Amino acid sequence: MKKTKNSLKKLYIALIFIFLYAPIAVLFVLSVNDSRSRAVWGGFTLKWYRELFADATIMTALKNTLIIAFVAAFFATVLGLLAAIGISAMKKNKAAVYLGAGNIPLINADIVTGITLMLFFSRFSSLGMMSILLSHITFCIPYVLLSVLPALSGIDWHLYEAARDLGATRSMAYRKVIWPELFPSVMGGFFIALTMSMDDFVVTYFTRGAGVDTLSTMIYGELKRGIKPQMFALSSVIFAVVLILLLLVYLLPSDGKIGRPRITEGLSDAVRSVVPFILVVSVVTTLTGCGSIQNPRYGADPEEEATVSDAGSNTITVLNYGEYLDRDLLEDFYDKTGIRVLYDEATTPEEMYTKYKSGAISYDLICTSEYIIKKLMDENELLQIDTGSMENYGNLDPAILAMAQTYDPDNNYSIPYFYGTVGLLYNSSEITGEVDSWDVLFDGSYSGEIIMQNSIRDAYMCALKYLGYSLNDTDREHMLEAQRLLLKQKPDVEAYFVDEVREEMVAGNATIAVCYSGEAYLANEYNEDLTYVVPKEGSNLWIDSWCMTKRCQNPENATAFLDYLCGEEAGMVNFEYVYYPTPNLAVYNALDEEIREDELVFPPQEVLKNCEVYETLPDDVMELYSEMWKELKVY
Amino acid sequence: MKENISIKENSQEPGSRILLELKGVAKSFETTDVLKGLDLKIERNTFVTLLGPSGCGKSTTLRLIAGFEKPDAGNIFFEGKDITGLPPEQREVNTVFQNYALFTHMTVAENIAFGLKIKKYPREYISDRVDYALSLVNLEGYGDRNPGTLSGGQQQRIAIARAIVNEPKILLLDEPLGALDLKLRKSMQIELMKLKEELGITFVYVTHDQEEALTMSDQIVVMNHGMIEQIGSAEDIYNEPKNAYVARFIGEANLKTGRMSSPSVVSIEGVDFPCTDEGFLSGTPVDVMIRPEDVELVDPLAGQICGVVSDIIFKGIFYHITVKTDEYEWKACSTMPTPVGTKVGIHVDPFNIRNMIQGAKEI
Ligand SMILES: Nc1ncnc2c1ncn2[C@@H]1O[C@H](COP(=O)(O)OP(=O)(O)O)[C@@H](O)[C@H]1O
Ligand SMILES: [Mg+2]
Repeated sequence: MKKTKNSLKKLYIALIFIFLYAPIAVLFVLSVNDSRSRAVWGGFTLKWYRELFADATIMTALKNTLIIAFVAAFFATVLGLLAAIGISAMKKNKAAVYLGAGNIPLINADIVTGITLMLFFSRFSSLGMMSILLSHITFCIPYVLLSVLPALSGIDWHLYEAARDLGATRSMAYRKVIWPELFPSVMGGFFIALTMSMDDFVVTYFTRGAGVDTLSTMIYGELKRGIKPQMFALSSVIFAVVLILLLLVYLLPSDGKIGRPRITEGLSDAVRSVVPFILVVSVVTTLTGCGSIQNPRYGADPEEEATVSDAGSNTITVLNYGEYLDRDLLEDFYDKTGIRVLYDEATTPEEMYTKYKSGAISYDLICTSEYIIKKLMDENELLQIDTGSMENYGNLDPAILAMAQTYDPDNNYSIPYFYGTVGLLYNSSEITGEVDSWDVLFDGSYSGEIIMQNSIRDAYMCALKYLGYSLNDTDREHMLEAQRLLLKQKPDVEAYFVDEVREEMVAGNATIAVCYSGEAYLANEYNEDLTYVVPKEGSNLWIDSWCMTKRCQNPENATAFLDYLCGEEAGMVNFEYVYYPTPNLAVYNALDEEIREDELVFPPQEVLKNCEVYETLPDDVMELYSEMWKELKVY
Repeated sequence: MKENISIKENSQEPGSRILLELKGVAKSFETTDVLKGLDLKIERNTFVTLLGPSGCGKSTTLRLIAGFEKPDAGNIFFEGKDITGLPPEQREVNTVFQNYALFTHMTVAENIAFGLKIKKYPREYISDRVDYALSLVNLEGYGDRNPGTLSGGQQQRIAIARAIVNEPKILLLDEPLGALDLKLRKSMQIELMKLKEELGITFVYVTHDQEEALTMSDQIVVMNHGMIEQIGSAEDIYNEPKNAYVARFIGEANLKTGRMSSPSVVSIEGVDFPCTDEGFLSGTPVDVMIRPEDVELVDPLAGQICGVVSDIIFKGIFYHITVKTDEYEWKACSTMPTPVGTKVGIHVDPFNIRNMIQGAKEI
């Protein structure tokens, strides 16, 4: 009886530990996996750790994160300590009011704090490194307060009197007796603030300026194109560092000599010798950090100072998807033209739309999906691009420009950047016979083996095309027919996914998936059995294009950047970085025959002809779509 | 070696025996008057105890002497100089706190060295002094320990060592033994007395325990509601309390109201008792105190007044016996047991009767 109880206890504890640490173990395993895919074990390697430290973008983000964390923790500690002293000297009722007010950033949802601060900073100053820093100080103060206040109110003031009695002056008594009593809790507050700041995403996301990334916002920006393995390495390093910091916090409050077994005394001494070091680091980063808190600009001379808001000068602010441009080009562009690019990233088209509309950052150029471009056009938010003045405009594929007329009838509001198709990714080792039609999704022969796209238009597109309709069909009956088909298919679907499609397929968790062509190419790199096809009934062609917003102060500079991207040289660098089909014919023609012919990279002409671009649909149709979608996802 | 660095009494000022003087010192917190014009002279090399019930202002008096509080009125003189406004660090007194107030982030030795380090003595000298102070409180070898690891009694000694190592002219102790158990308290009392002899300095000791006060003090200051009721040696206060308050506070006492029948006869319960106290006019109402051990139980016929034993409690050597007379209960001490219900006579020798002015406040 007792024995089972004991082993149950052990099992329970084991489960808890597995639950807590398994994800971290996975992270570590991924960080030494010699394959870019999370689903494939490519052998042990430390190359991601090496590449990590060579990656300028990651290192800049890391530097920003650390500067912000240390500087914010430092100021939050100073301010929090002062606030705690003030509050502890107040009468109870008054103290409660002030403490309550002080804790608002803690109680408030991060998102509210973030938005509030964003509105504040974009109204009264500009967003950048400084606004993140001030925001972090704001939300870190309560943690310091909560750590210091109990220690402060628990102080035995007889100690102060004893020190005075023994000859200490007022300030000496505070320094030599009261401060050492408070110190552990102050350090505790400092470390909590430090980890909270490093941890933060939401507030940083809202209050950062264009081009300023911390690790968390950088990782978020990468989500669309998949997280780089270097990030797993970095996360492992951070975990190790944070673990050490937490150990410090845990070990600090009690002195090594008080009731602690001898073994840990040495450790505790070590900790105590580390603390001054950390303080020094903190102060140094605070001092130097304050100097370097300006917005990083590609090619910016250290001496030259310009604020983010004065975009009228030789700076353009650009918003793009994560990992969708080789950043080395930004420097090259500066060298060639003297125009600085403030480069910012986002994950989804909706996010880009919101970021632009919020007005917190004035973007000059945005690279986004066709339906957002259409929306911005309709809302009169875009400037016409003087394509005639662009030397390299002629490089663009007329076929793609023609497709783009779906949303930009005169091709004068957008410049196509990359395009692709939506099709079927399938595991040829598990499918006999040829796959060339959407019917494999609907004929029930791959029950439980299907992954669908978890987005309205892409999901219905498959059904509409299979039924022989246009993917822009607005006929109610046709739409309901597609709905019935999807409802019938639903039991066969393993899952609706967006970002996970590629990894799931590489891992062999499903046989067929609706997939973007760019993802298909990568999936095939990891698993040769994965093949991509655009069904013969036709599919969607998507085009990501650049547009110029009406907030653009200097259209000539913006146009110069677009022209630069359309050039063969930059186009090639970008193609090799992104590996999506490029509409740049100069680049295409310069490629090896083998790549040009690779259907996983470039869709053949007949496939393209068979594809349609999404049109922006009337509101009532979209409403019907979301009704149907709800029904589909719920039942 | 020990002799060279021993703490000697500072005798360069032979002029006056008075070391510290409080003149008309008053102190109030918000609405409560804690001290109401205190006058007190403390001599060199004496063990002075402030005795009184809790809340009577003993600690406040001590804190005024130490400099932690400033009086609202009155002055404090130290060796004839007015130190009323002097901050604590400039006063030649040191305090032993009731809760010890040891610095937990320092070792025992660092605690003791604290005051000397501030005064910037050479390191060698400090470490010698610390060792000496530790030996004075019988804690040799405890220097590297952390105060938190020591027992209450040991912490108390560290607190004392930390204070005396600075060679104060007055050591202030605020109920230092309050937190210790009875046995430890008794032995610490003796140690403190020895320590005082060894150091030859003045101790001002606060307690609410009259027995402790009687055991240790050269001089007892009995306080009540922020005022001094009586100052005197233990014997003075025990044998000749100034009023019923002091009498009741110090030791066991039979307190009766009486009236002087003639200058050397006091009438209690209508019975005349000859006494030796003079100075009261015939007919004056007085408080009369007789210690229980001075109440002799005799044959009913031989007694000055008769009663019946109503209670008897064995207290080791003595029996505490209560005798009921017509108006009062008399407490008596006797080595002989007398059963309850026994009729007895009471006799008191004239010199054991203490007549006092009436009207002293109740405790
Ligand atoms: N700092 C203070 N603020 C308000 N009242 C105080 C303060 N210190 C002492 N008192 C009050 O003064 C009175 C005497 O206190 P104290 O001198 O500590 O008495 P004792 O030591 O004789 O017990 C008590 O009623 C106490 O509540
Ligand atoms: Mg007291």
